[in-house]
Amino acid sequence: MSLFQITDLAGLHHHLEAAMQLEHATIPPYLTALYSIRPGSNTEAFDIIRAVAVEEMLHLTLVANLLNAVGGTPDLTTAGFVATYPAMLPDGEEDFAVDCQKFSPEAIETFLRIERPADLNHRQQGGKTVTRQKVAGAVTAGHTGAATEEHFFSIGEFYKAIEDGLDRLYADIGDALFSGDPARQIGPEYYYSGGGGLIEVTDMASAKAALDLIAEQGEGVTDTIFDEDGEIAHYYRFQQLVLGRYYQQGDARDAPTGGPVPVDWSAVYPIKTNARLDDFPMGSDLRNAAESFNRTYATFLDRLTRAFRGAPEQFIPAVGDMFHIKELFYRIMRQPIGDASDLHGAPTFEIDRSTEKTA
Amino acid sequence: MTGTDPFTIPPEVAFETRYDVAIIGSGVSGALIAKSLAARGLRVIVVEAGPGEDVTIADYTKSVERFYSAVSKDNNAPYAHSRNAPMPRDYDAVKLHDGQPNDRGYLVQNGPFEIDSTYSRVLGGTTRHWEAKALRMLPDDFRMQSAFGRGRDWPIGYDDLAPDYIRAERELGVSGNVEDQGYGGLTFEDGYVYPMKRMPPSFLDKTMAKDLDGLEVTVGDETFSLNVRSTPQARNGIPNAAYDGGKGFTPTGAVSIHQAEMGERCQGNTNCVPICPVQAKYDARRTLLAAMDTGHVHLLPRTVAARVEIDSTTGRVTGVTCKTYANKDAPGHITGTLNATTYVLAANAVENARLMLASDLHGSSNLMGRNLMDHAYLLTWGLMPQVVGTGRGPLCTSGIEDIRTGAYRSHHAAVRFSIHNDGWGWATGAPYTDLADLVDARNLTGIALRNALIDRVGRQLLLDCMIEVLPEESNRISVDPRHLDQMGNPRPVVSFDIPDYTLETVAFSRRLTRRIYQRLGAEDHSHYTPSAPGWVTHDGEGFTVRGGNHWAGTHIMGTHAKTSVVDATQRSWDHDNLYLAGAGSMPSIGTANTTLTLAALCLRTADAIAHDLAPGTAAPSASTRREGVSA
Repeated sequence: MSLFQITDLAGLHHHLEAAMQLEHATIPPYLTALYSIRPGSNTEAFDIIRAVAVEEMLHLTLVANLLNAVGGTPDLTTAGFVATYPAMLPDGEEDFAVDCQKFSPEAIETFLRIERPADLNHRQQGGKTVTRQKVAGAVTAGHTGAATEEHFFSIGEFYKAIEDGLDRLYADIGDALFSGDPARQIGPEYYYSGGGGLIEVTDMASAKAALDLIAEQGEGVTDTIFDEDGEIAHYYRFQQLVLGRYYQQGDARDAPTGGPVPVDWSAVYPIKTNARLDDFPMGSDLRNAAESFNRTYATFLDRLTRAFRGAPEQFIPAVGDMFHIKELFYRIMRQPIGDASDLHGAPTFEIDRSTEKTA
Repeated sequence: MTGTDPFTIPPEVAFETRYDVAIIGSGVSGALIAKSLAARGLRVIVVEAGPGEDVTIADYTKSVERFYSAVSKDNNAPYAHSRNAPMPRDYDAVKLHDGQPNDRGYLVQNGPFEIDSTYSRVLGGTTRHWEAKALRMLPDDFRMQSAFGRGRDWPIGYDDLAPDYIRAERELGVSGNVEDQGYGGLTFEDGYVYPMKRMPPSFLDKTMAKDLDGLEVTVGDETFSLNVRSTPQARNGIPNAAYDGGKGFTPTGAVSIHQAEMGERCQGNTNCVPICPVQAKYDARRTLLAAMDTGHVHLLPRTVAARVEIDSTTGRVTGVTCKTYANKDAPGHITGTLNATTYVLAANAVENARLMLASDLHGSSNLMGRNLMDHAYLLTWGLMPQVVGTGRGPLCTSGIEDIRTGAYRSHHAAVRFSIHNDGWGWATGAPYTDLADLVDARNLTGIALRNALIDRVGRQLLLDCMIEVLPEESNRISVDPRHLDQMGNPRPVVSFDIPDYTLETVAFSRRLTRRIYQRLGAEDHSHYTPSAPGWVTHDGEGFTVRGGNHWAGTHIMGTHAKTSVVDATQRSWDHDNLYLAGAGSMPSIGTANTTLTLAALCLRTADAIAHDLAPGTAAPSASTRREGVSA
């Protein structure tokens, strides 16, 4: 457990803002691996990664609901909101680097670390908590102070600290904690997929339900493969790609017995890991497309911000943004950079450079 | 029924098992009946003629990719064609000459009208390629003879079927707004809402509504005010929180025997027909896989029913002889006989009749295969004065329904109109033909080509006129020993003509759509060529009429064995343990796509079968919810 405690509303807001950033930080790596798969190949892997990415978007929205419920103001447009890759995510005593890279065994290994259930971590890490120096380039999740601050073994524990903070503040001020405008809550009509839905947060019970859903689906705090709705947690979902089989109900950890999950690591665009705009020559189509990507992604984040601030109808054009993002992914990844490396381009997610004047 | 994977049961085992119910066909009729009966504990086998492979995301993706890469984007383009269970293709319909039948495709066309309708022999049946419009039939449609002196009355009325419509709308997951359905005498239960909210009207819909709403049209002695109304459809939209007394609705997405998390709301990809890339559209695999989750259902794919065996003393069915093939194209099969207490033919109106006639079962009414119906479609198309966003949204989000019934039906057929978001594709092969024309004939390239395409395609409006066809005994499916498929089964022989009652409305619809194009300020590009299949003339004017894939009426429902084939529960008058399920039972099809109504009928059929075989069991929950994980 963390040494750090959330003791006031500002601290809770900070942690929830960090949680939004953390949830978002998983999306560029997942999308990069997803769209690096050559269309029509690796269909099982495509579906598995896609399902997780969609649920990260659900988690992002659930955290926005939590933040709105306790009177905070979601903002996905602030400078630095989108991590610089490689990004450092909390995991045990050392943060670990998360790359935007192609669909590969290394990518899946990273995804498993992101989603590893807290109890697995704890067993491996001995349950210790440390305080140490902030790593350069780290996303702010688990890092709410300046230089030295609290640290969490896992994303699951980070959420546990938020839950403890909610409990503590609720004991102090009761229902006044949930002072946010209920009209800013995003309801289930705006999201659904195979499992789980959106929860509007208006009180302690719904706040706990939202946190539970995040924990159950991924960044888990328990070791169950399936939740009570029959939905499989992210860690085990990804593990299927390594083990080559689907889990089914009743399976033990590490021993799935369902249908095969064939993987073809070669049916993938050979993209550059953590590509940067400066990797692409000025004026090239690759450079233009990558800049266009960053602008489109900035527009998308701006639309989400407005949706989370009382204009949920903005989710409808945001769907169109996501199609543009996908098209740009493919346009960029199909093209060799043209240097000596034989590598292809990839979106750079340098969103803070999206307002730069282009040549 | 444990110990065997229900999806891969060996045919020998199936033929040795005694089932409560054997169902021929895995389409929407068979799947709904299977699910309903299995939920009540009955042991069911479902037989599918096609390969039966599409039970994983990978399989489904293969179908999507097959469609993307197909040169001919016809209704069956995404689905693997099997020589052992061939499917009709619309391009097989050609102009008939000199009374010579056309036997180039699976259907043998006798004419005189060349019908380009098709169906799919794959897991889930024709719902795999359907568009998913889910309109109810109107009260008048059920009483054509008593109200208008035309056609036939149903043995049941709209009010009898209304509760089953509600169940069917839940099973199929219909998006719609009840407030938009207030026309033609349609009534809904107080406070009823559809499971999901309507598909958002497209920009084209809104543009048309601005000019058309309130347009007055006189038909016979009556004047109708036209309105652009949303079309209910079995496609995932925003769930309505008010559904089911405030319990809401949980949509079913993609289905798979493995985890499946795809299949969310419609994204507007505009290729609903023949395949939705994100599984937002209902297809019968959803219901079938839910049925199989009960553990009481076996699926026997690659199996074509060849003969219904009858005890000549009692008239009861003693078995259905089937042929199971191993390779979809290579000759060779094993033959066996299914044994069950009750048998359901749910192979669609054409195949049900084909199987019965191939078994020499013409019925004591001699009506087996007769009264074949389909909707007659007149397509009209034009260019709107401004770009209207063609190519976004499901194929149709709105239509014009106001003249679906009226006193005029004593004289000519009913009609409704659909506004197409996909441009001229159905009529001209757009946008591919536009691209070829701009490149080949106008020599455009680069930005000029792109702009010309936007201007040409982005302004396209296609307005289809869906026209009623009434049952006539001379329109029929028959079999002929001269026309056999590779397995030796007789192929369906189609004899069809468009009745004058319908042609009158074809001409009326052309006149009305001309007026509509004028009012919209649109250039009317509709034209019809005598050399095309489907050419008809009326009062000196010629049109091309297209089929609607809404095959119906071949085992028509009625009140007496001498004048109909099945009763109001779809039970055969002649064989009391045999049901013929699907649109073939319908005595009229009005101006509603047949699937929702046949789904409602099949839920009644399941109740009737359960009443006999499993008395005392309650009707199962109608929920179509399937968890993401197979048990």
